[in-house]
Amino acid sequence: MKILVAEDDQLMMKMLEFRLRKDGHEVIITHDGREAVSKLDEFQPDLVITDIMMPYLSGLEVVSAVKKKYPTGTPVVILSGMGQENVVLEAFQLGADDYMTKPFSPNELSVRVRRFDMSAIK
Amino acid sequence: MSWQTFILHLFTYGILLYSIVILICYLLIGAFSIMETRSYLHKNSFTDYRMLASSTETPSMSILAPAYNEGPTIIENVRSLLSLHYHNLEVIIINDGSKDDSLERLIEAYSLYKADYFVNQRLKTKPVKGVYRSSNPVYRKLVVVDKENGGKADALNVGVNIARSDYFVCIDVDCVLEQDALLKLAKPFLEATTQRVIAAGGVVRIANSCEIEGGRLVKVNLPKQFLPRIQTLEYIRAFLLSRMAWTKLNGLLLISGAFGAFDREIVINCGGYNSKTVGEDMELVVRMRRYMEELGEPYKVAFIPDPLCWTEAPSTYRILGRQRNRWTRGTIETLRAHKKMFFNPSYGILGMLSYPYWFFFEFLAPIIEFFGTLGLIYYCFKYAVNWEAILIMIGVICLGILYSIFAIMMEVLTYHQYKQKRDILHLVLVAILEPFVFHPFVVWSAVVGNFDLLRKNNSWGEMTRAGFAPNKKI
Amino acid sequence: MAGRLLTYLIKISWSVQNIAVAAVVALMTCLLVFMLLYMYVKSVREKKQHKWRMISDMLINKAIFYEDRDEIEDQILASVLEAAQKLIVNRYFRKFIAGELVSAKKNISGASADSLKQFYLQLGLDKYALKNLESRQWYVKAEAIQELTIMHTDEFIDQLHTHTNDKNEYVRMEAQAAMVQFKGFDGLDFLNSISYPLSNWQQIKLLQLLSLKPPSTINIDKWFKSDNNSVVIFALKLARNYHRFELHDAITECLDHENADVRYEAIRCLNEIYTDETADHLISRFLQQGLKHQVAIARAMQNVGSKKDELFLFDLLKHESDELKLHAARALANASKEGLLSLEKYSKESEEAISQILMHIKGENAA
Repeated sequence: MKILVAEDDQLMMKMLEFRLRKDGHEVIITHDGREAVSKLDEFQPDLVITDIMMPYLSGLEVVSAVKKKYPTGTPVVILSGMGQENVVLEAFQLGADDYMTKPFSPNELSVRVRRFDMSAIK
Repeated sequence: MSWQTFILHLFTYGILLYSIVILICYLLIGAFSIMETRSYLHKNSFTDYRMLASSTETPSMSILAPAYNEGPTIIENVRSLLSLHYHNLEVIIINDGSKDDSLERLIEAYSLYKADYFVNQRLKTKPVKGVYRSSNPVYRKLVVVDKENGGKADALNVGVNIARSDYFVCIDVDCVLEQDALLKLAKPFLEATTQRVIAAGGVVRIANSCEIEGGRLVKVNLPKQFLPRIQTLEYIRAFLLSRMAWTKLNGLLLISGAFGAFDREIVINCGGYNSKTVGEDMELVVRMRRYMEELGEPYKVAFIPDPLCWTEAPSTYRILGRQRNRWTRGTIETLRAHKKMFFNPSYGILGMLSYPYWFFFEFLAPIIEFFGTLGLIYYCFKYAVNWEAILIMIGVICLGILYSIFAIMMEVLTYHQYKQKRDILHLVLVAILEPFVFHPFVVWSAVVGNFDLLRKNNSWGEMTRAGFAPNKKI
Repeated sequence: MAGRLLTYLIKISWSVQNIAVAAVVALMTCLLVFMLLYMYVKSVREKKQHKWRMISDMLINKAIFYEDRDEIEDQILASVLEAAQKLIVNRYFRKFIAGELVSAKKNISGASADSLKQFYLQLGLDKYALKNLESRQWYVKAEAIQELTIMHTDEFIDQLHTHTNDKNEYVRMEAQAAMVQFKGFDGLDFLNSISYPLSNWQQIKLLQLLSLKPPSTINIDKWFKSDNNSVVIFALKLARNYHRFELHDAITECLDHENADVRYEAIRCLNEIYTDETADHLISRFLQQGLKHQVAIARAMQNVGSKKDELFLFDLLKHESDELKLHAARALANASKEGLLSLEKYSKESEEAISQILMHIKGENAA
């Protein structure tokens, strides 16, 4: 599966990239919201994983951009340090498909991502 | 002893004394700055700004951005202000009677409507023509105020009246802010326990030649033109050394008008910005400090050395000259309005140290330098070359260069914005050239400022700027 | 006589000048050399860090993908750990690897986090951190506390607890945060004994940390009686955030606290936790307060007030402060269904300012 990851923290990005590659996915790395949105067309990812607090465009803006571009396809998973109720609610209202908070469990992420893969096959 | 030798000696010793005092000041500023910077950087490493960004418990903040004929860039600039990280934020754009279509552009871009808004006139201002809010909930943070033209101070006072927050941040609308600028500026207010923090100043850095996209700084470059480059050095010196040292002493007098945060309650209590001076930013801080001293409450003016605000510096001698002329007049007007504090022990550090320092080094220094140099040249031609005085002057110049190089070193050791080795070399080169090329011009502008003030020529000196057009690389 | 003195002085000043110029030139050269040297050392250290980074990356990767281990993987891991162990005597390496492991652990939970902690312990970094707790430099101390907290080494809780009232602000902040991280609400018992004020910043941080812990009904009201005003304020914030309605009476007692900031927080707190009597409590204390507190009371009336408070609120409309008027009018409009109507009626009979306020409130309600 082709996964676009938007995350500004380098170490965090390294960990995500490593885990997702090991799971057999193709990973497209972007370091901020704007880069993520601009690479959507070029790479046509099957899944987007995004942080919320990032330079240029926030993760919530990424969600709405993805949902605007692909109203039915391309699920978005949010992986953020912000766990407040209002943020989570806003994310789902904008169309996010899943929400994980940091600190996150890499094993859990792996399973959640696989779930989106299964539905794609179906 | 003839009167000529007497004048010669008076002259020589005057300059010698002056240079010794400068040497001592440089050394003290350097030492205090190192202490303050070290402690700031250590403290900063324990600060999780993300935690603050997501908290709902933070005090409310308003951004006040006065705009006058900013039409071509205002949409982008407002967008970048709206995207700053801060939870309890309100962005107030004050259209100070612009003659262009700024307001129409804003109304269209942000779907604004004229709201029935009760303006609490706690500070006297020019009339407000209308308050606009957005019908789009995404822009609920935005308030646009349309008012009759009254200058920057008046526009800011309107903003202070409209704001509903505990603190406000005043900025120039064409500044480019880092995303976490407000979080960093809010921190000193939150950390205060025994002293009330009445204001927090930020650093202004020079954006000429930097890459700016959509109201955001993408890449930092050292300015390519000579004048902005030399001002880069000047700003580093002022912010990283001088202001840091004054913060250590809690004697900071000036918060840049382009970027600073204030306690709204205190600003209102001491009457807001003074629209009669051209140096309203400095005057306000001095008045706030004076107010607190007279109240007898412990207080502090904080300063954040991180590069958070980027602005375009004048790139021609004409505009630069006007800017410096205005600064000089502002300084003198402020000093004059508060002369009561001059060496007045009841004002503590403010009266005994800050005020006299400004009086001697900011106000008198250019005058002394100007007439000193003129006198020396005259003497050399008329009588004999005064080698002693010339040697002392060379010493002072070397000292100045040394001080600049020290500033560059502090920049490299702390924020290191200019990554290429070449950039640092360029800065050092500029430091060596400055006393011969740039400095005389600045001194001249200051002297002209003095004369202008004497002639009561209180013109504003409108600053024409190139403006950051969207996606334009400068 | 004076002329001889002057010539003498001039002679001295000549030599003074020479020395001064020489000193300035020497200093300048020193600074330049120092700057160049520093740049060189920095680049050397960066090169070294490249190797260090490989080690830390390997460790972190192993932690992230821990479940399917085989012999070869184990061998690689063992050799990486060995290489790290050799470098551990280097102070800079220690700082580096601890920093990397800590920032990885911050973002990660579950089995991977456990193995990161295991690596941390295997390298003996906890022993070094423990030693740093005794450092005389506050930032070394604070960093050690932070490290031990994030690595969740609970066997050192008692050592950390002794620092919750440290004389350095940052050390005690980290230690207090550590207590909450380890024990949740029970960790707050340091509030019983701290003598230094809790800054607003620290309160925000503690509330944020607590919001990630399961809520608890611990006894908050004992802190209302604290001699430390900031502790009282923090307790009031806790009561407000966790909607502790049973504390209503204890909170109203804080309205008579001698400290103005405590009273202010109490008013804010009653804004959320109120009963039928709250309005009376606030109104009865209105006159004794300063303007800031009066405004806060007027603002609270918007939630707390009801029809019976209309008389008080109409009185406020005559107050000289426009801000008070605005809040009072807003409270009136919300106090009862007919509030807005009676406000309109009042506005017609009185002066100009109220009508603008009325428009403002109508605009708000419409938006």
